[in-house]
Amino acid sequence: MSEMTWQQLRDLDCGAVRTLGDSWKTHVDAMLDQTERLRSDVIDGHLSVEHYESNTATQVREQIAMTADRFEDDLSDYASTRIATTLHEAADAFEAEQDELKELVPLIEQHDFDIEGPQSEYDVNLSGGLHQAILTLDPPQWLCDMCGVKKPDGFWDWDTVKVLFNGVDLYGTAIGLAGQYQDWLRAVMSRAHDADDDAAAALKEMRENPSELPPQLGATYDDLIGDYKDAVSQEVADEARAIAEGTSGMSPEQVNQWWEGLSDAERDALVAEHPEWVGPVDGIPTESRDTANRTLLDDRIDGLDTQIAAKEAELAQTPPTDPQYSILEAEIHDLQTDRDELSDLQGEITNEDGSPKSYSETGQQYYLLGFDTEGSGQAIVSVGNPDTADNVNAYVPGTGGDLAGASGGLLDRTRTMAFDAQNAAPGEETATVLWMGYDAPDDLIEATDSKWAEEGSADLESFTQGIRATAEGDPSNLTLTGHSYGTTMVGTAAATEGVDADNLMFVASPGVGVDTASALGVNEDNVWASTNESDMIQYAPVHGNAPVNEDFGGNTFTSDATRESGSWWQFWDGPVENHSSYWDTGNEEHPVANTTSRTNQSYIVTGQEDLVR
Amino acid sequence: MKARLRTAAAAAALLAASGCSVVDDLSGDEPPESEYTQAEAYAPMEEAAADAVAGLGDFPGFEQRSWAEMPCSHDGVDDDEYTAIEVRYRFSIADSATEQVRDQYVATLREHWTDAGYEIATDDEVEGAERTDRNLVAVRHDGISLWYAVGGYVGLYIGSGCVPVSEAGEIEYIPPTGGVEPGGPGDLVEEYFPDGIPTTHEALAPLNPPEGRA
Repeated sequence: MSEMTWQQLRDLDCGAVRTLGDSWKTHVDAMLDQTERLRSDVIDGHLSVEHYESNTATQVREQIAMTADRFEDDLSDYASTRIATTLHEAADAFEAEQDELKELVPLIEQHDFDIEGPQSEYDVNLSGGLHQAILTLDPPQWLCDMCGVKKPDGFWDWDTVKVLFNGVDLYGTAIGLAGQYQDWLRAVMSRAHDADDDAAAALKEMRENPSELPPQLGATYDDLIGDYKDAVSQEVADEARAIAEGTSGMSPEQVNQWWEGLSDAERDALVAEHPEWVGPVDGIPTESRDTANRTLLDDRIDGLDTQIAAKEAELAQTPPTDPQYSILEAEIHDLQTDRDELSDLQGEITNEDGSPKSYSETGQQYYLLGFDTEGSGQAIVSVGNPDTADNVNAYVPGTGGDLAGASGGLLDRTRTMAFDAQNAAPGEETATVLWMGYDAPDDLIEATDSKWAEEGSADLESFTQGIRATAEGDPSNLTLTGHSYGTTMVGTAAATEGVDADNLMFVASPGVGVDTASALGVNEDNVWASTNESDMIQYAPVHGNAPVNEDFGGNTFTSDATRESGSWWQFWDGPVENHSSYWDTGNEEHPVANTTSRTNQSYIVTGQEDLVR
Repeated sequence: MKARLRTAAAAAALLAASGCSVVDDLSGDEPPESEYTQAEAYAPMEEAAADAVAGLGDFPGFEQRSWAEMPCSHDGVDDDEYTAIEVRYRFSIADSATEQVRDQYVATLREHWTDAGYEIATDDEVEGAERTDRNLVAVRHDGISLWYAVGGYVGLYIGSGCVPVSEAGEIEYIPPTGGVEPGGPGDLVEEYFPDGIPTTHEALAPLNPPEGRA
């Protein structure tokens, strides 16, 4: 784990790190010139077929070519992808956090706060001087301004003293501000440590032993060359497996570079023969992941059919009085549930003839970026291709989100978001992704725990990095839209791991894990929040300061409370129902579409903030 | 931190007052009975669309019609026994840019729906750097809502509210209005009719497909 202190981060020369990365890139280019010369001057020149024609000459040319290939592969895998890209990514990440520190530390100092505690979890506390100033009724001007009181002229200014004692909470205000700075500092350092650890992991996972070279020419050459070629193929497979299993230490950008460095035949073979190493991997282009995931989905459904048949056969041989009978029944039920949910998902994204289906209203194809039946189940489905889209909006559902919803209500919301985005910006392509990529809490009690968001944070970070890595052309305008606990998921990932997103949108948030927009690692102007006036969630900010609050520091947009209580004595009905009304097409109690919420969201997602109200 | 203490107390209050126990015990009823089932709702919704179009002069015709659904939630949890339908009509991008469609039709529909005794629930306008968007929403006595949405595209969206879900086979094909050819490329309801859209139906009055669109 990184032990970087905030002072080390502040003083780090990120330019030097970047320059080092540039040097490695330059080195790679120079070395590639050497292999090019080897091919043109030697293989196709002095040793060409025109000058030397024999079996030995053919072997020599082949061996030199393979040596050049090996050299280029190593340059690509290590010098470029591993070292140079790692240094560039680290420099970018450190510099972004350094910029935050340059803004934050002077604020902390100006307000007479102290940074204390270990680098793993800094505290921002009131300094002794500030304590004394408040206790002696001589608060600093900034604190008086925040509390809306006149700075006391002296100890005997009784009117002011009375105001200070009765009307304001100087300590509470100062501690509140210190708390916001503390959230901000912790978030900065968390992301910096994450970047430091990622860089260390990428470099650590470089193979310790040098790659094998082609066999030496001689009597044994013919015997060994086959094994060598097999070993080269196996290296690709081993690397693909390590990437998929998360042990390669490579970032999505590095994965993308690795993928682009493969031959078409290698890529096709991986998709066809090992879809499990392609489908779930951020950094591999969407088209390939979709193809692989559809194969995995078919295989998984077939596998569940086989398992169900086997269990049913076992059940048929088991007497109903046997305790094992009810166990088998429960197992069959669970398997059948998984099978039905996966089949429903397949039906939503696949045509009758097995080809990928498109969402008819916008004409955009569905892409499957991942699925899982573990826990409540997960699925990542995109309406439109995020690699080619101008805008990408990833919808992160909250409590109760599961695999069943990914082919039901959650996907319906995703489709409506896609439709609304197209209506808002007809000339642009907006891909709308249902990111049900974490194990969401099942109920309100579970939703008071931040662990679900913490456990999903690295995956959401990786998802955003993957979107950036696979983008064709200019990077898309990427928005993460969280709903309810989904906002906690987005905020926690942004603050602790960092998300590579342009906009964060928090709808009906119970808190996002930090008390200030500054801690989220994106420009505060691009942080948006909305909670309608009736939503119950405003009474339950269990995960920190509600992002709609003014002191959170982000933007807000209007959403209607479209639902009402069924009867006067069921006064809580409206607040509960309005927590889910943000994409309403209308409901029975008040059948009006949530025009403000839907259009405002679509404006933000498509970069038309001037229309937001 | 004070903020944390305050929020924790608020959370406890919420869970005690409206968290699972009280809300589940007292409001566990079914949603209010709706006038229509899903299968029954499409016909009056399509009629509502046709009625709206009938009042629009020199109508250029819609480009597409679709049927969408959204989840209905109860006690904050999506209830898969209910669905909210949205019948969506949309103009082409070229027609969506005309003053007639973006401005004049809003005034016409406002008058038409007010005269019909519908409640005007939303009537707003937002001016951006490049265009002015508008939303006009009216609600009928039977609970069906009509949203004339002026954005990049302009559309008429008819909402059912939450209605009990019907089996796929129970849903009958209702031909589109406003110039969309039944079963044609702009009639985007094939999800509901996997065996093919019945094309023997005539388009709903008042308009047949405009010239060159059929």
